[in-house]
Amino acid sequence: MNRNENELIGLLNSLHSRRDFLKLFARGLGYSALAGSLPGCGGGGGSSSQTTAQIPAPSAEYSALKRTSFGVHHDELEIIQSIGIDTYLEQQLDYQNIDDGDLYTTIQNLFPLAFQSPAQLYSGFPDNISAIYRDMIAATQYRQIFSKRQLYEIMVEFWSDHFNIHLLNGLGPTLKPADDLQVIRAHALGNFRDLLHASASSPSMLFYLDNFFNQAAAPNENYARELMELHTLGVDGGYTETDVKEVARCFTGWSIRFPNDPGGNFGEFVYIPVVHDDGEKAVLGNTITAGGGQSDAIRVVDLLASHPSTAQYIATRLCRRFISDQPAQASIDAVATAFTDSNGEIRDTLRALFASDEFQNSADQKLIRPSEYLAATIRSLAPHTSYPTDNGALFAAAQSILGQLPYNWPTPDGYPDIQSYWSSTGGLLNRWRLSFLSYAGIIPGLDVFQIDYAGMLNGANTLASILDALTAAILMRTIADADRDHLLQWLTGETGQADDAPLATATIDQLAPLIAAVLNSSAYFQLR
Amino acid sequence: MASHNTTNITGQDILVCIFQRGAADGLNAVVPYTDAEYYNKRPGIAVAQPGASNGAIDLDGSYGFHPALEPLKPIYDAGELALVHATGVPHGSRSHFSAQGLVERGVTNNNGPNSGWLGRHLALTSAPATTAFRIVSISGNVPVTLTGATEPIAIDDIGSFGFDQGIIDSGYPDILTNLYRSPIPFSGTAQTALAAVDELATANPGAIMPDNGAVYPTGTLGNKLKQAGQLIKSALDVEVICIDSDGWDHHENLPNFIQQSLGELANSLSAFHTDMGNRMQNITIMVHTEFGRRVAQNASLGVDHGTASLAYVIGGNVNGGQVFSQWPGLHDQDLEMNEDLKITTDLRNVLGELLMQRLGGTDINTVFPGLSYTPVGVFT
Repeated sequence: MNRNENELIGLLNSLHSRRDFLKLFARGLGYSALAGSLPGCGGGGGSSSQTTAQIPAPSAEYSALKRTSFGVHHDELEIIQSIGIDTYLEQQLDYQNIDDGDLYTTIQNLFPLAFQSPAQLYSGFPDNISAIYRDMIAATQYRQIFSKRQLYEIMVEFWSDHFNIHLLNGLGPTLKPADDLQVIRAHALGNFRDLLHASASSPSMLFYLDNFFNQAAAPNENYARELMELHTLGVDGGYTETDVKEVARCFTGWSIRFPNDPGGNFGEFVYIPVVHDDGEKAVLGNTITAGGGQSDAIRVVDLLASHPSTAQYIATRLCRRFISDQPAQASIDAVATAFTDSNGEIRDTLRALFASDEFQNSADQKLIRPSEYLAATIRSLAPHTSYPTDNGALFAAAQSILGQLPYNWPTPDGYPDIQSYWSSTGGLLNRWRLSFLSYAGIIPGLDVFQIDYAGMLNGANTLASILDALTAAILMRTIADADRDHLLQWLTGETGQADDAPLATATIDQLAPLIAAVLNSSAYFQLR
Repeated sequence: MASHNTTNITGQDILVCIFQRGAADGLNAVVPYTDAEYYNKRPGIAVAQPGASNGAIDLDGSYGFHPALEPLKPIYDAGELALVHATGVPHGSRSHFSAQGLVERGVTNNNGPNSGWLGRHLALTSAPATTAFRIVSISGNVPVTLTGATEPIAIDDIGSFGFDQGIIDSGYPDILTNLYRSPIPFSGTAQTALAAVDELATANPGAIMPDNGAVYPTGTLGNKLKQAGQLIKSALDVEVICIDSDGWDHHENLPNFIQQSLGELANSLSAFHTDMGNRMQNITIMVHTEFGRRVAQNASLGVDHGTASLAYVIGGNVNGGQVFSQWPGLHDQDLEMNEDLKITTDLRNVLGELLMQRLGGTDINTVFPGLSYTPVGVFT
């Protein structure tokens, strides 16, 4: 692991370590005093994991929001219920016309390094590595949590994984911010062909996948292979080892300007004709005639963008993101057709996906990923909080514990979008531990955002009414009677109070965050 | 079930399986220094012959360790380390992601079963679940190798796995046990996690110190092997531990990067071997990768994706102190696709022999369908 990464994570963990805050919780709230084990609880036989929904389905509006946002937000649920799913999604696709208030200026002011050019960042390099990383993580998390352009941010994350670049990689910290702005964010809901061209000439990508080494006399295949395997055709997309070599030849000379290059600024793209292999090439059955120079690789990108395997591959990945790990072939085909017919227009492609029967008529097919879990926790528990007062330190620490820090996946395939990866014992346990963010506001160090329990409870003062109020506010969906019974049995056992007995305010203040943590840990919250 | 500290519940070896992610080069780790083509094809990156400055450490007159593997030499000399060269799973893929999947599944193409080879074996030999720690992945996730087994546990840091006492006293684990009852999605994993929290709190392996003066290197692999040692020495009945070793994709500047990677590997394994002491009589460590690297160096003083590589097998019941290899040669005509070291030992035969000899036997046809099983003789 990179030394700077360790330092940063160590720093973050020491600022807000989960063990510390759980200890604080234990000391501050003294639940030991309430201890009492619940008869009939504990034990229980294991069974194999399955994702057949065994809980009451949520509303179609809830499901659409859960799949197209970083967590259902109470205000947005009201909007989508009012204007309808189709209108809501159209508004989300037209993201530039969604007013995001002061979010973008806030992020630019708080996290300026996420907006600087390679040359600017290089002037402070390498001392600024941790600062760049911190700003990039925070800017990303703030947008995911607080932006009203939720579908856009989902697609930014999708393409950030698809065209994954590990930030902590040599000069990478100085290069990735520009890639984020000019490649990913510029084209996230634009046209795939434009996105692919932008990525192929992105200095951050050319550096990360070694193409700056790639020369006629000494080809380096790293980028050429991942371009076809991960970015376009997919591993079974019909290319050969010879194609890998030929594409690498086409990309010889595609490089970046290194420091002190008199020809231009550090971190700019540069094509170096003298190291380009200008002979004839054959790519996927197409002849690329000799003497093409820089146009060889441009031709390759165009060939790949139009290839039927690319349409299938992108469609499969999108369906996997928005529907389930095993989407129906009919859904994939419909999305691939829209992709091809629109010449790679991402909005049209998504429209076909949203119109699919599978998207509209299924729910709870997949475990949310850690980035969604963290954002959804804030969005449901603290929908109207002001921006955290710690500049994102707590969120970054939480995300490092959950295992999905932005720009920290080392290999070019990006964070997995398969729920089996995220649903391990340790993965579930870490989510449960993070559910105690519900104590923010009570525990010093966690109180960087505000949870309005009084607003959620709205006067509820019995175990039953508190549970119902928090279920409505946090889960925003109906839970099974059996689960409500279990929860009430637990609460009456813990408190020694009847479920309809009015409780003291102090008891309510202690119970509400604990109930919130339990609801947040449940399958109702964890599935989409 | 009584707990005991030296052997696992079935009386067979505890397996520690280390996957070198990124396609580790075998040729600069165990150097075929008598093959002139090695030096012809790697003029800028080859490890010099034994005796030369920074030269290889001779093993048997034909092969030598990279100098960074020196900490493994005493284990080799004691007969507890066997090396298998020119090995791999003949899957033909040069994609990291495909190849890792195929090797982990123990298959040569995508028609094979989707579960992992070790997962299939463990499913066959399923002991009564006396512990959530029977099958452990020391990482945040369960590797494909283990899929198919019943609820492997993924734990990236045993020191911080679990809940604070205040949380436990609040009844939170108990209500989660109820909310994740079968058949709620992820009920099995959730129940295992909750059981593991209880077990770990009792066994407290994080407090166990290294024995015999072992010093684990700082770094991810050393830390994971230290935790593996703690689990093995605790009262938890661990049978299988899987660990990933990252960072083997050396497309550029191989001499520099492999020095670091091999050094971390050797120092971590050596520390674990020392820490385990006599327990090594009931432990086997298997180290392998998804494919090897190109024989010839590239222009960046690195090596691109290739075919065959190297496996390390360590344990008290290993026919160690030797390099198992049917050397295919390094002339162009000897190479896979004229550029890669050929596979002459199917890695699945080594893994199969491991299961047959040291893990209580298995059904080879189920674990490695289509393999014509031929033991290599790596295990006693």
